[in-house]
Amino acid sequence: MAILIDKNTKVLVQGITGSTGQVATELMLKYGTKIPAGVTPGKGGQQVHGVPVYNTVKEAREKHEINASFVVVPPLFAKSAVLEALDAGIPLILVFTENVPLHDTAAMIAKAREKNAMLIGPASTGMISPELSMIGQVGGLPDMVSKIYKKGTIGIISKSGGMMNETAWVIRQAGLGQSTVIGMGGEILVGSVYADFLRMFEKDKETKAVVIWGEVGGTYEEQIAEVLKNKEFTKPLAVFIGGKFVEKMPQGVQFGHAGAIIERGKGKPSEKIEILRKAGALIAEKHYELGKIIKDAL
Amino acid sequence: MRLYEYEAKELLQKHGISVPKGAVLTEKKSSQFMPCVVKAQVLFGKRADLGGIKICKDTKQADETISKLLNSTFKGEQVKSVLVEELIDLQKQYYASFLFDTDTRSPILLFSTQGGTGIEQQKNIQKFVINELEGLEEGSVRAFLKRIQADEALAPLLTSLWSFFVTEDCKLLEINPIAQTKTGYVCLDAHIDLDDFAKGRHKDWNYGERAASLGRALTEREKAVKTASDADYHGTVKYLELDGDIAFLAAGGGGSLTCMDALIDAGGKPANYTEFSGDPREEKMYVLTKQAITKPGVKGCWIVGGIANFSRVDTMMTGIVKAFEEVNPKFPIVVRRSGPYEKEGLAILKDAAKKHGWNVEVYGAETPLTATAEIIVKKVKEYGNTNR
Repeated sequence: MAILIDKNTKVLVQGITGSTGQVATELMLKYGTKIPAGVTPGKGGQQVHGVPVYNTVKEAREKHEINASFVVVPPLFAKSAVLEALDAGIPLILVFTENVPLHDTAAMIAKAREKNAMLIGPASTGMISPELSMIGQVGGLPDMVSKIYKKGTIGIISKSGGMMNETAWVIRQAGLGQSTVIGMGGEILVGSVYADFLRMFEKDKETKAVVIWGEVGGTYEEQIAEVLKNKEFTKPLAVFIGGKFVEKMPQGVQFGHAGAIIERGKGKPSEKIEILRKAGALIAEKHYELGKIIKDAL
Repeated sequence: MRLYEYEAKELLQKHGISVPKGAVLTEKKSSQFMPCVVKAQVLFGKRADLGGIKICKDTKQADETISKLLNSTFKGEQVKSVLVEELIDLQKQYYASFLFDTDTRSPILLFSTQGGTGIEQQKNIQKFVINELEGLEEGSVRAFLKRIQADEALAPLLTSLWSFFVTEDCKLLEINPIAQTKTGYVCLDAHIDLDDFAKGRHKDWNYGERAASLGRALTEREKAVKTASDADYHGTVKYLELDGDIAFLAAGGGGSLTCMDALIDAGGKPANYTEFSGDPREEKMYVLTKQAITKPGVKGCWIVGGIANFSRVDTMMTGIVKAFEEVNPKFPIVVRRSGPYEKEGLAILKDAAKKHGWNVEVYGAETPLTATAEIIVKKVKEYGNTNR
């Protein structure tokens, strides 16, 4: 059945009239994602690729059935867009916008908790349940999306949008397909983390195993070990951790994503790998080994 | 953006938070406070352990210290100014910092009743989780301080520091120590990291250029790439010089980390770290490539990226080819890239390589991303052997 999104997902696009919003809308529609409406304050009444635009989320929700939102607004407007969606009762929100100030992200997370809603991102490229639905801009142009994403049994979670595709591709090259693939975003704070998705994959009958792309910085990878120890995830899990070279650099230097930084001794890849291995995760030393490792574990 | 201590204290003072009286000196001048503390202004490293903070009892000692510290270096970072402050007579020292915690995904307050040096080794640091929407009420801080048997009179200061942390969009606000004096609490040192993503709503953040986070000043090449990256909002290019001989041009935050590891694992030495993402235009890719491949000692170039979501391969290759045409490199070039308009993009490079006789090998998605690390390392080794 996949997790989070499927044929019944009806996506509102917040920021639909912006250049990225328009491109993403077109690609999602081509993939078969249901997009009943879009929102851009002040642009109500327009249409984008045949999708009606409203001034507010509330208005769009009154006129259409909507159960998810894709937020693709400028960074300093992301907070108000997300709070508006949460106040309107949307249960699943994916924030594509990058460079969102940390205090704004913290506010979104606090509000999503209060509303018991699922927030993904900011700086999430998107997610896809192959052949069912896609939110965001995943896998590039349609021919490539159908080449690397195929309905199957492997769940994928990645902090990186690019490595999400690359990981999905090594799974395909191993002759397997994916149930749901999620780009969770590489920021210091994000709405949902590996642990949250693993608990959902555990309950999903279609998902037989999960593959994770993780990296230097923060403690989200370490939290996976807790989920394994508590038996909240019991299927095979293969993990690749990027950024080992950062340990050889002076502390406090950020490489790549905003969250990819070793601070106060926390966030070292070698420690993440050690903790995960001890908790029973399968570790890929080279990224392309993920396909074989998970295939052998099935 | 990390602030110098003096900048942090000026900002705190602007918000009515008590700091010692002081003056910033960029050239030799006598202290107007006596006794005084002379503090080297650097952004990185533990300057206290390295003699960067000195208590001076008379003018002679202060003059000597000021001239000794000015223009000295701490772990490669030059001291361009010193902060000279009145010496505070303190009875007790506390530690407080506000930051974001990945365990609770919330802002937190870290607090200790034993502030001062050696805080890293301290076991007794208390954590107080804050709801960003609700903020920090004085009452709840009082309850927290009472619970850990600390002085409840600190509550108003901690509440003010929280407001500052929010209003000034800090990623980190660390006060170590907060000094308890006869007349009240004073922030003796302040460490502030402003959130660059919030710059758009802080027109008053006019801080000068910082040293690179490696502790050294930006090199000319790094400056050139940064200028190109900041020139428009289409994508970003990052460039950091390292000691190796392989120019490394990698796409994406995650992809660049994965590939750096793969290059080092394969025995290669990167001449730089790089990341380009968000569909950068030709000009940015041109500047980045030009800087990376003209660095003295470069013996090869690895252009690598995963399957892009929205960055166009043709745009990227047009910029890269422009730089190659100017440099006309003899060294080996290995490319692995996939994504929108890859057929067109890879053809641009292949055609130019044929025309100019460059030593280029191009791979697409059928070859694993990191497998091409071994190829470039092997080719650079061969090239090095024949071109000694």
